Amino acid sequence: MNTKKKTGLHIDGDKLVLIAAIIVVFALFTSLNKNFLSITNMINILIAASLVGLVAVGHTYLIIAGQNDLSPGSLAAFSGVVAALLVSKGMPFLAAIVITIFCGAAVGYFNAFMVNKIHLEAFIATLVTQSIIRGFAYIICGGKPVSISNKTFLLIGKARILNIPVSVWIMIICIVVFGIVLAKTKFGRSVYAIGGSMDAARLAGLNPKRIITTCYVMMGILCSIGGIIFAARMNSGQPAANVNLEFDAITAVILGGVSFVGGVGNMGGTILGIILIQSFNTGLTMVNVPSFWQYVAKGGLLLFALTTDYIRKQKREKDLLAASMKNL
Amino acid sequence: MSSMLEFQNICKYFPGVKALDNISFKAYAGEVLAFLGENGAGKSTLLKVLNGDYQPTSGKYLLDGVEKHFQSPHQAIEEGISVIYQERQILLELSVAENIYLGRMPVNRFGFIDTQKANQMASRIIEDFGLPISPSTKVKDLSIAYQQMVEIMKAYSRENLKVICFDEPTASLSDSEIEALFKIIGKLKKEGKIIIYVSHRMEEIQRITDKVAIFKDGHYVTTVKTGEVPESEMIRMMVGRDLGDIYKNLDRNKEIGDVLLEVKDVSSDYVKKNSFVLRKGEVLGFSGLVGAGRTELMRAIIGADSLRSGEVILEGKKIQNRSPHEAMEHGIVLVPEDRKLQGILSNLDISDNINISMLDRNSNGLGFVDAKKEAKIAEEGIRNFKIKTPSAKKKIVELSGGNQQKCIVARWISTNPKVLILDEPTKGIDVGAKSEFYQMICEFAKQGLGVILISSELPEVMGLSDRIIVMRARQIVGEISGDEATESTLLSMGMIGEVKKA
Repeated sequence: MNTKKKTGLHIDGDKLVLIAAIIVVFALFTSLNKNFLSITNMINILIAASLVGLVAVGHTYLIIAGQNDLSPGSLAAFSGVVAALLVSKGMPFLAAIVITIFCGAAVGYFNAFMVNKIHLEAFIATLVTQSIIRGFAYIICGGKPVSISNKTFLLIGKARILNIPVSVWIMIICIVVFGIVLAKTKFGRSVYAIGGSMDAARLAGLNPKRIITTCYVMMGILCSIGGIIFAARMNSGQPAANVNLEFDAITAVILGGVSFVGGVGNMGGTILGIILIQSFNTGLTMVNVPSFWQYVAKGGLLLFALTTDYIRKQKREKDLLAASMKNL
Repeated sequence: MSSMLEFQNICKYFPGVKALDNISFKAYAGEVLAFLGENGAGKSTLLKVLNGDYQPTSGKYLLDGVEKHFQSPHQAIEEGISVIYQERQILLELSVAENIYLGRMPVNRFGFIDTQKANQMASRIIEDFGLPISPSTKVKDLSIAYQQMVEIMKAYSRENLKVICFDEPTASLSDSEIEALFKIIGKLKKEGKIIIYVSHRMEEIQRITDKVAIFKDGHYVTTVKTGEVPESEMIRMMVGRDLGDIYKNLDRNKEIGDVLLEVKDVSSDYVKKNSFVLRKGEVLGFSGLVGAGRTELMRAIIGADSLRSGEVILEGKKIQNRSPHEAMEHGIVLVPEDRKLQGILSNLDISDNINISMLDRNSNGLGFVDAKKEAKIAEEGIRNFKIKTPSAKKKIVELSGGNQQKCIVARWISTNPKVLILDEPTKGIDVGAKSEFYQMICEFAKQGLGVILISSELPEVMGLSDRIIVMRARQIVGEISGDEATESTLLSMGMIGEVKKA
């Protein structure tokens, strides 16, 4: 693997398919609604993508490490409510977000605890968290949205730098930073190693449990940041928000070439996956597809993602095993 | 009609490798034909071409004069060609009978599976084979040897079975289990099957095969009658050089130093209390049957399993290894037995595999990995250990088993260890690469490392070790010097635990 391949900034066959899919989605929705290709709509897509994007960054790490997380939607909603509550009780904004992010990290740690110590499957462990945290999101605010009046808080949802909203900048920075960490650092390499074989990585002197814990804690933090941004955009912390957030994020990541077998994928693919899923989702709304049908369409997209994952896996194995005359 | 299998000009190319180059020869019914060759010589590839796992790049194969072209192993089985692999291909949760008749279980007139009938049919075969197992036993409850027997019975249960191939079937069997396998091979032979037997073990080839087909670097060299050509001559044909007595010609380390490692009363959930010492520059062999607890003792020492009692003293200082990482920091490293699952990282390339234990040392304060340092270490590893690859950027799974193992050794040597533990380092590795490993081991000892060599191959432990410790039933039962050890003393110590100090 050379560096380019690790960051995923090279264009290979898989990426071309993805880019082609993005072009098809853009062409389709533009033909149905001219406004789809407008700058305003592009920025809207990015804004909507910012939350999914942050979660997808976390999923990229977790799924490469052979893990998964179903709790981000609940955790993002919970974080929005916590931050809104703390601020409404008069806590300074900065202190409120630090505490909220700390809570997110703690939830991530709890996920890791269940996986590492109780040896639960990631899928089931995080399903537990999904329910518990959603419950607490309702409990702490008595089931009602908590409105936000703090100016600084609201600014996160509205301020723009170079005409790009702050929330989008935060997503871009996270993608770049975490992309570099994944590709270039000791930690990134360890994530790939434990995704390849946990046993072999441990015997090679790595500490798989600690790496897994770090990934979950990272995911918790990213969800909290996402939840805070979302609440700022909505002017309130809403306990019912962000349902199925993980669904979109996982779809994006799998579309981007991260595989459930573990140890495979990169951040470059995730970027394309995020673009594809969010333009797809926004497009569906713009051309007035009824929301019930949107569920069906999203399921279809996930099925498409999983099918491409399967085909890629076959291809990887084939590339490895099958004959090729070209070097002879 | 007695059957015949013929290969005509079979070629199989992989990226950068001619795995099979123009292979032509015949195999006849009622004969056991050995495939002999180094790893990567093409034996397994040829089997995979034969059973439809691979498609040949060119050439063809004929069964009874009819050209065949199998698209999948399943199709090959349907037409009477079965390959029994080292890795079991059976379903552990199913019963013996269900495995034998998998996909073609007898049904009653309502279309339901008739388990009773399947069991009856299966017990007939089991009786034929003379095995003490019940058709309704779940396969997971059987020993590895019997699991393999189930696979053989599965192949045998097809009435049209003509060709049965064994790919290193004895790699994980004990001696008595090997005997049982040989009996069955004899039976198949009498029934006029074509039997192909791939193995690296010369004694086995001498014992049960009629002819030996020799392969070298993807070429078919020749077929000789077993027993007519001396072993050394066959080895010369397969490696292109005379290995002679590889153990005698080894340049062993003669200067054994002070005590390096002292293990005192170490026990874990998997081994009883054990104590031993290892000296600088010494090769300490560990002999015993499979399951005697040798691997488990080493795992306890390096902290892969937690210690229940005892202490580990390195260079006079008590150390604590709570994880393999800590053991590595102290300079004790282990090359595990199960290369595929515990050794290599199959998703990563050669360079990453060699450097994985050096991540701490190869990265700066911010955690960024120094690509140049990594490239240098990988290059050194490839050069020093003669790893056969065009580039360090190749995926490790593209290499042959022996070369993968060299990468794992390179990984550990780059960390500059004091104690190197090798667990069955030459398992499934061809004779040529084995002798390279032996020289390497002697070289490590000369450099002052303490080497612990776990091996189930008696000539190997005896030929390389300065002292040999024998384990039985999770406990050390004796120790003997390498010069005094004979196969029979080691065996009797390992099997009955008799401490025969000469």
